[in-house]
Amino acid sequence: MKLRTSEYFITEVFHSLRRNNWMSFASVGTVAVSLFVLGVFLTLVLNMNRLASSLESEVQISVYLEDSIKTSARKDLQKDLENMQGIESVKYVSREEAKERLTERLGDQKYLLDALGDQNPLPESFELTVAQPDMVETAAKAIEKMDGVEAAKYGQDVVKHLFDITRLIRVFGLALMVLLAAATLFIISNTIRLTVFARRKEVAIMKYVGATDWFIRWPFVLEGVVMGFVGGTLAAIALRSFYAAMAAKIYNTLAFFPLMPQYPFMNYVTVAIILSGMAIGALGSAISLKRFLKV
Amino acid sequence: MIHMSNVSKIYENGAVALDGVNVDIEKGEFVFIVGASGAGKSTFIKMLFREELPTSGILTVNGHDVVNMSHKEVPYLRRGLGVIFQDYRLLPDKTVFENVAFAMQVIEAPRRLMQRSVNAVLDVVGLREKYKCFPAQLSGGEQQRVAIARAIVNDPAIVIADEPTGNLDPDTSWDIMDIFKRINKAGTTIVMATHDRTIVDTMKRRVIAIEDGHIVRDELRGGYGYEA
Repeated sequence: MKLRTSEYFITEVFHSLRRNNWMSFASVGTVAVSLFVLGVFLTLVLNMNRLASSLESEVQISVYLEDSIKTSARKDLQKDLENMQGIESVKYVSREEAKERLTERLGDQKYLLDALGDQNPLPESFELTVAQPDMVETAAKAIEKMDGVEAAKYGQDVVKHLFDITRLIRVFGLALMVLLAAATLFIISNTIRLTVFARRKEVAIMKYVGATDWFIRWPFVLEGVVMGFVGGTLAAIALRSFYAAMAAKIYNTLAFFPLMPQYPFMNYVTVAIILSGMAIGALGSAISLKRFLKV
Repeated sequence: MIHMSNVSKIYENGAVALDGVNVDIEKGEFVFIVGASGAGKSTFIKMLFREELPTSGILTVNGHDVVNMSHKEVPYLRRGLGVIFQDYRLLPDKTVFENVAFAMQVIEAPRRLMQRSVNAVLDVVGLREKYKCFPAQLSGGEQQRVAIARAIVNDPAIVIADEPTGNLDPDTSWDIMDIFKRINKAGTTIVMATHDRTIVDTMKRRVIAIEDGHIVRDELRGGYGYEA
């Protein structure tokens, strides 16, 4: 494209955006809201995935013992566990130790335990580390059948639930995104249609003096892209501050949560959102031009 | 320059606008197309710049096969033509200069040529002083002169005018015709559809009369010769 032509296109785009300022505003707003929602779902799903996989890689089994177990039986069991294939280490956790840990974990809310008085409802347990994540499930199942074992819990249970939730969010988010994208496309193509209508005389003259189809189309496509870019940028800015605020909150209350670090993660999300905005803008114009601009 | 062989145009609703028309127009000719409203004049004119396509027949304009050309080639056909309408079709938010320059801009003509060419054609139509005016500040005749300047600024081989004096009073019409004469003298072919009996009778140029989709008369130094 020749330089003076690009100049011409750019001035045309800004003239046009100003001429249809309300529709342009509405288009940019819709793009921004849609992409913001997309971004929220995107970060949510990515974080859930990360949480799930980090839990999955935790190759630990908690073996809770029956209350009635005798010390000798417990020691035998510990030996059996230590001799099991694939088990790397076995650590005994007494009832007192379990209570101490719980107290620590509750932190400010440890007064909840005061109600129990001197009673300790927590069972004894062994903490097992397993050599490979894929062995956890079979090992846990075998251990559960052993004498004196109340239950064998492992992270995979939680992981399974987490994956279910993630899938739900993904499906729901996708449906919402499709809906919002359709609404955005509709609004953008409508705005472009107004632009085409406002400039129909100009377009007719351009055709009579021999402008090529693409010369006529470019300003309209660019207008859609500019609207998508502005909307995408607004959405990205909003999402970044949203994520920063959420991250601060989560770190304060759930310090162990494996949240995606803001950088460079949010930079990728920003780029993705702005590019989607531009793509939606271009597509919206294309739809409009196909239907309303017979060149 | 223009070659029509057995050209017919039947609209979708079945109306026959042109029926087996044969015409040859040579380079440098000045041709009037006359006829009553609805006789097929407008269709004849519109086919020349491919606003309408013939239903059948052969149509060649300025070396382009109008019937069989691809959609992509249409702009290049039109770059060789200058089209003028009864209602001027100027852009109201552009000045005289910008309206004329617009025709160069959209075909991506070199900018260094723009200033010179626009000034030159504004000289031809006598509007050099009013280059800063907006169309609303001009009379009808002046607006039509701007439209002519725009039509000729890309130096077309053929100027096609559809009732260019239809909205103008007789004196102003003559100013317009003087400009056309000058353009024609410089070698440009002119095809002009008109209702104006006086102009046709006075100019003594080639006249093609269309009636009910047929050419009923084609005279080299004709008159309007036809009771409207």
